[in-house]
Amino acid sequence: MKILVLNCGSSSIKYKLFKMESKEVIAQGGIEKIGMKGSFLKLALPDGQKVMLEGEILEHRAGIEYILGVMLSEKYGCIKSLDEIDAVGHRVVHGGERFNSSVLITDEVIEMLNDCIELAPLHNPPNLKGIYAIQELMPETPQVSVFDTAFHQTMPDYAYTYGIPYALYEKYGIRRYGFHGTSHRYVSKRVCDFLGVPYEEQRIITAHIGNGGSVTAIKNGKSIDTSMGMTPVEGLIMGTRSGDLDPGVISYIMEKEHMGTKGITTLLNKFSGVLGISGISSDMREIQAGIVNGNNRAILAMSTYNYRIKKYVGSYAAALGGVDILVFTGGVGENQAVTRSDVCKNMEFMGIELDEELNNSVRAKEVVISKPSSKVKVVIIPTDEELTIARDTLDILQGK
Amino acid sequence: MSEMIIEPIEKYGLTITADGKNKPLFSKIGVVGAGKEGRNIINMASTAGMEVVFLDESPERNDFVLGEIEKIMDQKISNWGLTQSEKKVIMNRITQTLEYEDFAGCDMVIECTRYTESGRRSTPLRKNIFKKLEEILDADAIIATNGSTVIISELAADLEHKERCVSLYFPVAHPDARILEIVSGMYTSEEVYSKMEIFARLINYKAHRINESNGNVSLRMLATMLNEACQMLLERVCSMEDIEETFTIIYGQRYGIFRMADIIGIERLVTLMEAMFNDFGAKHYKPNPLLWKLYRSNQLGVRTGKGFFIYDENGNPLSPNKSLYN
Repeated sequence: MKILVLNCGSSSIKYKLFKMESKEVIAQGGIEKIGMKGSFLKLALPDGQKVMLEGEILEHRAGIEYILGVMLSEKYGCIKSLDEIDAVGHRVVHGGERFNSSVLITDEVIEMLNDCIELAPLHNPPNLKGIYAIQELMPETPQVSVFDTAFHQTMPDYAYTYGIPYALYEKYGIRRYGFHGTSHRYVSKRVCDFLGVPYEEQRIITAHIGNGGSVTAIKNGKSIDTSMGMTPVEGLIMGTRSGDLDPGVISYIMEKEHMGTKGITTLLNKFSGVLGISGISSDMREIQAGIVNGNNRAILAMSTYNYRIKKYVGSYAAALGGVDILVFTGGVGENQAVTRSDVCKNMEFMGIELDEELNNSVRAKEVVISKPSSKVKVVIIPTDEELTIARDTLDILQGK
Repeated sequence: MSEMIIEPIEKYGLTITADGKNKPLFSKIGVVGAGKEGRNIINMASTAGMEVVFLDESPERNDFVLGEIEKIMDQKISNWGLTQSEKKVIMNRITQTLEYEDFAGCDMVIECTRYTESGRRSTPLRKNIFKKLEEILDADAIIATNGSTVIISELAADLEHKERCVSLYFPVAHPDARILEIVSGMYTSEEVYSKMEIFARLINYKAHRINESNGNVSLRMLATMLNEACQMLLERVCSMEDIEETFTIIYGQRYGIFRMADIIGIERLVTLMEAMFNDFGAKHYKPNPLLWKLYRSNQLGVRTGKGFFIYDENGNPLSPNKSLYN
């Protein structure tokens, strides 16, 4: 049983082909710069050899065709016929309120996905392009859509409602949806398996932090709150996104800088966050280098970034009525000891005791980093969104 | 770790081959003449992801054009509308040339030769450009001109594939005026018009279909109102500022009519109105004496720093141009 997982972004496509029996990844790679000069497909062969295929890739359809072509090729391939791929799983960013779990893609689902474009105008269209391309190139192969928002559909109304006129929710669906659902779901389940505790009886806070980031409160296996809102700008301070901001500031900036809606959107999404505060970079590794050199703005960016995560952990502890497990995942969550340490500092009052030495010595593997005496287990769980998508696809295929 | 293997991707296509690429429409377009309007088109098309080749008269002029386009983008960056890396990607899509041969493979070339100081463009020159383009381009490539006067049928007349010609007018009133007036001439085919609708969509404009007529729609309406406004000014019915406010406040326009005329350019309006008067014969198209006064004294609006208003170097109005009343 082989399942292809596709993650189509606005100018990129990431793919992994899984052999489900062994959960082995038999092909993986990504296309970048679709529709731009210098587009390429980069793949890693099973022996670790990296291959770069350069050429014009003007749209997603062509990109997917090349991905399939490479997998079929004698030189770099791993399959003899496209029929060997039993199903394709797509990461779809916004499922709105219509989707609370992964679904088999039908014409009706595609129509509903088109309706969700308004909620995620940047993300959903490329996801749909990927679905159309597979429909065209592999018309017989079932496709499954796995939503970033679905896991959070269990949030209670008081958690997802904004304090604005209710009519706006009714008119446009303005409410909090949350993202990174696939990752929060995977790591929260995985941590329970890892610790050998029942998923349905835990109070878990998962911090998925990378270039984008969100924190989720999970009670008895259900997401009850998450830091991202209707769009991925809410919540944590991210690489280039502002996170939570006084709404009054937005209109103030627009007026002072003579800015339109497009300008303010770019400002909050691309010029803010760690990049905006530090003026150096959105990459945490460069921020750390800046801190080593005594750059004050780098120091400020790091403290602001860490403090915001801590605030969310604290408030979700209140929402959950206590915490059993705190999970760190995502590029920064898995690798950046100083952020984990800052978040957990002085939290003994609520039962978090981090083993600083252990925390400093580990990265990107499944490991408990709290002291044995800690009431709250603090754990690093590397996320695997692609595998989760592949599993969901398999489950749906087998009618589970 | 062994070194990365690098090779071309084309042989891995299933239906795509190196020579018969499934080329999407408007992947490459050309612009002849990169004055302000030409540059605006280059900027919009490259921002929308198209490769753009532009031709102007000398290497120095071409470098100047690229510099000006960079300025437009830097302005966007300082308004938080664009990032440095996006600018780099967009600038990479723009190529300058002095040779018509470099338009080979374009889906469309837009002729944007500049206006002379007197607000006119040379028809023989434009005809010549159309002919040169026809020699280079594929038979189904579109040849367009940018303008608001009746010209496209005349420019198309000498070509072998007349149906491929179309005229475009991008209203210049303000950046949000994203309506593209697509003018079908005598020969323009339905297919070419529909392709232009797609082009409009790609650059985020709404298409309006116009059947060739002087002034199109936007400028024809403006011209007659401008004449009326000038006449009221001459008759001292009320002050210039009040006429402006009638426009901005009562009718909710972004700019008053005189400011709008300065933005478009007095020379453009005067020549256009003359053409309309010749075509339609109605007196209300005849440029008002005030417009002639500005035209003859080379006070042509924002571009020259003086028109109905006096402007600073950034094009912001400082005061009404009192010399008009003397």
